[in-house]
Amino acid sequence: MSLKLDYVLRETASNFRRNITLTLATVITVTISLTLLGAALLFGDAVDNATVRWKDGVEFIVFMDPEISPELEEDIRRQLEDAPEVSGFTYIDKDEAFAEVQDLLGDSPELVEVITPERLPASFRVKPTDTLPERVDELAAAFRTQPGVARVVTASETIRAIEDLSSGLRQRVIIIAIVLLVAAAVLILNTIRMALFSRRRDIEVMKLVGATNWFIRVPFMFEGLIQGLIGGVIAIPLIWLTNNFFSVINDDVSLELLRGFTVDPSRVWALGFQMVGLGAIVGTVGSGIAVSRFLDT
Amino acid sequence: MIRMENVTKVYKGEVLALQNASCEVQRGEFVFLVGPSGSGKSTFMRLLNKEEKPDRGRIYVAGKDIGALPSWKVPFLRRNIGCVFQDFKLLPNKTVVQNVAFALEVIGRPRSVIKEKVPAILELVGLSKKMHNYPDELSGGEQQRVSIARAFVNRPLILLADEPTGNLDPNTSLGIMTLLDRINRTGTTVVMATHDRSIVDKMRRRVVELDRGQIVRDQSRGVYE
Repeated sequence: MSLKLDYVLRETASNFRRNITLTLATVITVTISLTLLGAALLFGDAVDNATVRWKDGVEFIVFMDPEISPELEEDIRRQLEDAPEVSGFTYIDKDEAFAEVQDLLGDSPELVEVITPERLPASFRVKPTDTLPERVDELAAAFRTQPGVARVVTASETIRAIEDLSSGLRQRVIIIAIVLLVAAAVLILNTIRMALFSRRRDIEVMKLVGATNWFIRVPFMFEGLIQGLIGGVIAIPLIWLTNNFFSVINDDVSLELLRGFTVDPSRVWALGFQMVGLGAIVGTVGSGIAVSRFLDT
Repeated sequence: MIRMENVTKVYKGEVLALQNASCEVQRGEFVFLVGPSGSGKSTFMRLLNKEEKPDRGRIYVAGKDIGALPSWKVPFLRRNIGCVFQDFKLLPNKTVVQNVAFALEVIGRPRSVIKEKVPAILELVGLSKKMHNYPDELSGGEQQRVSIARAFVNRPLILLADEPTGNLDPNTSLGIMTLLDRINRTGTTVVMATHDRSIVDKMRRRVVELDRGQIVRDQSRGVYE
């Protein structure tokens, strides 16, 4: 037995016409929940990109002159080791710095090409014992004047705020998005059940004359698929809008610290398509479950 | 064609619909199922196309134990059993020809077959001129003919008719009976539940009488009582 495409399309089209408001509500819910989920993931990525240097209690970074002599570098290292205010530090050599930049700009090869390991400064990422901002600034200032040091960058309160925000906000947004996604699935389920209810005579006859369960099910699953797809496709520009909002933040806070609070365009696209896929899955599975309840004998 | 062995069906644990019923129907037979309301006639029919499952006993249709049939095969059982009802069960938003075609469409028959079979069956039931009418534009008798056309278009082995003349006047009923008789003569086994004394007495076919779930009479060339 073969399912005919024109039959499925005809049935789906008639279902859409009959339940236009419900279909609209479902699509909107799918869109909103996918947008939120996408934005939350995007936000997380941006925070990760912006704070990659400030992990594990690193409060300031001492960048050395790219042409620093080994003796001077050793000198700075010894000072860090001896300073009682420093609880620990990591040395990032030119190659490691390059690898990090590559990670950050991985999808913009033209930028990576310009940068070579030689042109990047080696650095120490310093964890002080006392993380009070004033004390950190004091300590950082002491290194700023050292010969061979190009500059010292401290983690500003902005970075800290973003980091704190990121874990809390990201979690909350993802929870909300998941709740909405479940709501969308339930709405799709409901739409299909209404469609099934308005067509219960058709289904009764179909069962009577020996239509298989899959034959009855597929047009409805297709309907759910379409709803999920439309919702996902509408979510893509909205996710892009969120991304543009990030670059506004990025330009606004003209701090070097926040540089990197962006997400690569290809990542945004990938996320968008993942959301479309998720919408399609939620739609199809939701309607499949709804029909199965009707068909179970 | 149909064999029931000691079939018992109880609804919700208390309503006894069929009690230890055994019955055999040969290929090509025409059987009337008579008895008062609630005697188990409809249950008898519903058991045959597996809309209901028996609590005890076995049912064979076309030599197969349908109790052993996995649920995914039930649709294929039903393709061998046409059903006609008192209330026709036509789809109001489809025309006569669409109603009949739908039955073939949903079992995946190719369009060429549908184009050939549907007009032929409508010719047989005498509705060629009303192919493009909607069910509510037809008389009760005509609607029942459409429903018979739908049940028979796939040439099932068995035709189950549950009070097909229940909503029709005596003259119209006779027309429907003539049609069912013609279908029976093509070799299709017909089982018809009815309350209609005059029809049973006139046709003189096998009569199986049910009373409170038990088969109390099985008579060939029988009458209503």
